[in-house]
Amino acid sequence: MTTDVGPGLSGVVAAETRVMWLDPSSGELAYRGVPVDSLANRADFEEVAHLLIAGKGPGDDPKGLADFRRQVRSSRTLPREVVELIRSLEPTTHPTRMLRAGVSAVGCHELTADDDLSGARQWRELRVVGQTAALVGAICRHRAGLRPRQPEPGCSLAEGVLAALNNRPPTADEVRALDLLWVLSAAHGLDPPTFTSMIVASCLADPYYNIVAGLSALRGPKTGGAAEAVLDQLLPLRDPMEAEAWVERTLANGGVIAGFGHHAYRMPDPRVVVLRKEAASMARAHGRRELFEVARTVEVAATSALAPRGVYINVNFYGALLFHLLGADPPLVPCLVAIGRMAGTAALVREALDGIRLYRPLSRYVGPAERRLSSEDAP
Amino acid sequence: MIGSSPIIAEQSYGRGLEDLVAGDTAISDIDGSKGWLHYRGYPIEDLVGRVSFEETAYLVLFGEMPDASQLEDWCAELRQWRDPPQAALEALQRVPANAHPLAQFRTMMTVAACHIPEPENTELDAQWRRPARILSWTAALAARAIRHLEGADPLPPRDNLGYAANFLHQSTGRTPSTDETTAFEASLVVQAEHGLHAAAFAALVVISTGADLGSAVLAGMGALSGARHGGANQLAFEMLEQLDGPDDARAWVRDALARGHRFPGFGHRVYKCPDPRVRALEPYAEGLLVASGNEHMWHTYLALREEIEGALGAKGIFANVDSITGLIYHPLGLPVSAFPIPFCLAIETGWMAHCLEYLPDGKVIAPGAVYIDSTA
Repeated sequence: MTTDVGPGLSGVVAAETRVMWLDPSSGELAYRGVPVDSLANRADFEEVAHLLIAGKGPGDDPKGLADFRRQVRSSRTLPREVVELIRSLEPTTHPTRMLRAGVSAVGCHELTADDDLSGARQWRELRVVGQTAALVGAICRHRAGLRPRQPEPGCSLAEGVLAALNNRPPTADEVRALDLLWVLSAAHGLDPPTFTSMIVASCLADPYYNIVAGLSALRGPKTGGAAEAVLDQLLPLRDPMEAEAWVERTLANGGVIAGFGHHAYRMPDPRVVVLRKEAASMARAHGRRELFEVARTVEVAATSALAPRGVYINVNFYGALLFHLLGADPPLVPCLVAIGRMAGTAALVREALDGIRLYRPLSRYVGPAERRLSSEDAP
Repeated sequence: MIGSSPIIAEQSYGRGLEDLVAGDTAISDIDGSKGWLHYRGYPIEDLVGRVSFEETAYLVLFGEMPDASQLEDWCAELRQWRDPPQAALEALQRVPANAHPLAQFRTMMTVAACHIPEPENTELDAQWRRPARILSWTAALAARAIRHLEGADPLPPRDNLGYAANFLHQSTGRTPSTDETTAFEASLVVQAEHGLHAAAFAALVVISTGADLGSAVLAGMGALSGARHGGANQLAFEMLEQLDGPDDARAWVRDALARGHRFPGFGHRVYKCPDPRVRALEPYAEGLLVASGNEHMWHTYLALREEIEGALGAKGIFANVDSITGLIYHPLGLPVSAFPIPFCLAIETGWMAHCLEYLPDGKVIAPGAVYIDSTA
């Protein structure tokens, strides 16, 4: 391959994939050839995870899907010591750090020193997706000062996480909304957490190391942390008037509106439309219309100021709002996104392991010319 | 640097970003055809045996050799972090004893990372604190994991020992001799930095998101733990260990070559000539093996290397650093499954140097993919 290498390796092709398709000029996104538009609100997250990981579309393989659901749900039983480890951390620890520790500890239970560490044979995508959901549930309960409780064995991943988040059985609309969020964020190109996992997988590390590494890239302010920042910005704004003034003031001072801008494309993210609609109806159902109006005002004001510069709304803006309406406080948002993204990453890593070479680019040396220690440094 | 340097005009590259020049760096210069490795301008042959790991780390991280007072302050900073958070040490009791030591080490590090203040202090005066904390915590946690593996009680650090000697003391339970410390230190010095190898690249992707240094190092450790990377020194030693003397080594290599076998610890993506780190470490390995009554193993290694290089050298395949470090770690009494750990302690210096170099104005590293239409 030949390319002009831009900052941040833009323009470089780091993988070939059949898992998804992303058109940077239109923002169009498809999983295994199925447009995401046609999955939103029609397929739940477990179906989409099955599609991404096993390559089977909804309806193509009912028995395989049923097995998949059973396996992914049953993997949510965490070893007691893992739950204890999470609960030994200060409840104020950032949830992404707790999740990383939890995944690492789960890996110690899943693989022994005698297991072959080469990733291909050991990759246990299904279990990892379910285990992550269970860990996030355990983290939610620990943060809220609630006693640990495993999810009901037969419930879906979304039901289990919502029950832990709000300490009550979720409504059907809430379950549908969380599935929608996960479906829309299950895979989106080689974002840093996914790419980090692929680099680590290319060294044939054990799968839990891949995830620990990916989770380390989850929450930087330039990736998943941006979703958290959306809420940090929106929640203190009391009404649309204040929101409008805030946007004006922030931009005049050279500040950043979280939830706007994307390194790869110069148009509104197409996934925003369905998320905005869902956030509006969830806000109505939960008596939070004022919050939605604030968000809508920020969107309109920021768009009119930023669109001429090629900066548009991204998936984090209404995505974070919807996670919040479902019960998440800001620091929990990156972990909730991670559950959905685990499906896409698992599929990409598995694919990558089939034909990958170790990722090892070069650098150009621009430092000091050759020199020697002075003789007085000699022993 | 990768995030900010001007676009490097059209390049061709292969899978795994082979041959892609991803950006500029002032940290190390590696020439894979001449076989040289320079840190900030100093050839490693000039450093090994003459400077401590602490001095090397200072050079790699901050760009210059420290003067006496800088070195004193840097060593004091490193000593200050020798006691990792108690919760991280206790985490070891919550994972099964039969888990891989690298997975146990990882779990302790993920718990320790919960104790890195947020946001990390990026003031200039904190420049030293962040990498020092990681270097000393990882050494202490790794030593703890090794003691655990051996079923032995943990040992407190000793203030009168430097980084290398203290790690040996805390992991093996005995005070190393001067020769042992010198050999171990040499292995740390020559492995302190190596460009954008997979682990450094993973760390750089993480730091480019604005994450903390501990997160970047955890990603690097992940890459390093893989069989194709840091795990290779363990595999190379296990290969050597099953050979019974030089004659057996030669016969086995000839047979393995006929079967198209690949040899762990041989061949390197960048070096197509002898790896300078191997030549720098061989005298130390020989010294330790001879002194510990393992001369036999030294000659087996030499026969193995000569036989493989004789057959494959023309194709640019030579012993790399992973073939030799085990011959230092074994006589020091480190268990084989822990061999990747000292490599990690050394090379994380380089990862952090790349992260610090990248930080000021780096963009998120986000390459693209080619999407293959699976329906077509």
